[in-house]
Amino acid sequence: MGAMTIGEELLEERRRRLRAGDPRITSEGRELLLRMTTGDLMEDFQAALDADLAADPALGGHDIDEDA
Amino acid sequence: MLVIDEYLAVRVLVGARPEELPDVEALVLTAYRHYRLLQRIHQPGTGQLSRLLADSDQQAIRRPHPEILQILDPRPLLDEAAAIGARYSAAGLLVGETIAAGLTYGHQLWFGTQRNVGTRLAQIADDLRIAIHVADPG
Repeated sequence: MGAMTIGEELLEERRRRLRAGDPRITSEGRELLLRMTTGDLMEDFQAALDADLAADPALGGHDIDEDA
Repeated sequence: MLVIDEYLAVRVLVGARPEELPDVEALVLTAYRHYRLLQRIHQPGTGQLSRLLADSDQQAIRRPHPEILQILDPRPLLDEAAAIGARYSAAGLLVGETIAAGLTYGHQLWFGTQRNVGTRLAQIADDLRIAIHVADPG
């Protein structure tokens, strides 16, 4: 296999940075955010997202029939 | 450019990007979906994330680094979002903007769980031939 070009190296570094996520995220934050989006807190997270829509008709929309 | 939902945005930020997500240059979250995430930080309540997350975690969500996650400017999408809302029985800003983004950027939308797709969005996307992909954590 041939050596990588400078461009390929830069793109590979960029790809690695993207896959690593934001370095500002702490390990404790990462754990909590993963529980919310892939683990045991998903139900709570989705309930909160759904509640936002229910509380805000402009955001969540409504059936025109309801206006009648 | 790939339009993703709140779940995938968070997973990308924490470096847990699903394998099935295509390797594209830019991942984007619509402004109103970002707004919903921000509400989790700012709204008081038992699930208020600002009580649970460090300031640096919050900053990563509040102001994502554009190399990792971009927030779509809603203004160019508003006309299409309003048209969608009118045609599909007041779909609301969240659905209208998401569908407009899907129409504009590649006719596909990516979600982190089926529950976050929503019935109305799924019906409109199907009608407009926008592909819905779900990268469920399983």
